[in-house]
Amino acid sequence: MPIPQQLGRGDKMGRGPYEKSGIIRDNGLPPNRPVLEQFEIPFPAEFVKKDGKDVTNILDYDMTVDIELIYEPFGDKDTGITWHKVTKKITLEKGGV
Amino acid sequence: MRTIRTTAVLAFLALPLLLPTGALAAAAEGKKAKSIDELAKMYDSTGCKQCHEEIYKEWEKSLHARSIYGTGRTAATIKTTVTVGLMGWKHSGVKKPEDVENRHLAICTKCHLPQLADATDDVAKEIVKNVNIFMDPKSSDDAKNKAELQLTKISINCLVCHQRNAITHKWVDGFPQKNEVFGSKEGSHPDPAHPVMKKSPIMSESILCGQCHGLGPNFELENPSQCGTLYGSYLWAYRAEGGQESCQECHMKKSKLGHNMQSYNDLNMGKAAVDFRVETLGYIWRDKAKMIPQTLVKIEMINRAGHAIPDG
Repeated sequence: MPIPQQLGRGDKMGRGPYEKSGIIRDNGLPPNRPVLEQFEIPFPAEFVKKDGKDVTNILDYDMTVDIELIYEPFGDKDTGITWHKVTKKITLEKGGV
Repeated sequence: MRTIRTTAVLAFLALPLLLPTGALAAAAEGKKAKSIDELAKMYDSTGCKQCHEEIYKEWEKSLHARSIYGTGRTAATIKTTVTVGLMGWKHSGVKKPEDVENRHLAICTKCHLPQLADATDDVAKEIVKNVNIFMDPKSSDDAKNKAELQLTKISINCLVCHQRNAITHKWVDGFPQKNEVFGSKEGSHPDPAHPVMKKSPIMSESILCGQCHGLGPNFELENPSQCGTLYGSYLWAYRAEGGQESCQECHMKKSKLGHNMQSYNDLNMGKAAVDFRVETLGYIWRDKAKMIPQTLVKIEMINRAGHAIPDG
């Protein structure tokens, strides 16, 4: 969203139209330009030492990720409106060297 | 010297006689509304419903129909504008809610109720009074309901867009008159209150909406406010980059919402506004000797609206 400048001066965000005058920065989506977001989510795993070596025990090879685009007019998820929701299932290969 | 002085006196005396009759008539007619009820009557558009029933019903569902009440949030913001803003500022001239005049409330009403310019300061005070009743947790339900009813009597209704704000360039196209309505055609109009139908050159243009939907700080005010910045974004981030559609094309036609112009609250508008593509990749990352299983989630979003999202 456009982060409004308080009374058109300084580095503080204004709140309420009566305080806003200007924009400090805008972290919203500009029209017609791709915006990329990336997230790295670890699988549940435990890390142990076996014979002096690091061993990873993967606790679950399957993961389901729900990705939602929520418009939050009041700045919180409770009153947000879900515009898009995508569910993806990810499976790690077993085995390997 | 004597000649100059005589001429100046004559010019001064002649000035009232040189005022055009139209302006005098307008001044005489320019009776200002002294209450919310009078202002509601002055801008009464209920008669439009008889012939434009479907459009009227669409409008009734829109936020335009309750522009100073909103979802309740607008009323709440008017309250904080008075208590936090106006009453907190040293030079505003407002020490208590009763001190609020139209020029103070213009921070909000420039867009939320532009017809307040046709009212006395009594109406600004009445609005503030009702907002305070509505927002006061001690108010009874009955008092709150009455306040809400009063606040929803005045709004951005048919006559605001189709008459008062239908012309932006008044020196070119003329000043809208009280007996006129503006749309896409010229001719007569079967409404005794508005018998003249005129074509507005901007009814399908974004500038009509831009009058309220924000360029940035409203510098014409003694203390500028900034509510929306959409029209500024539309001009400089959309049109300037090659976008060609108008506000009306997306918010009225493509959305099929007509005069129920919605934005983020309408799920279909939200879905249409942003292309949303997700890719995932599961893999095992090797951090030196440590194997870390993880998923990459890549999200690409393209805002297809004619302005930045969100606004605010």
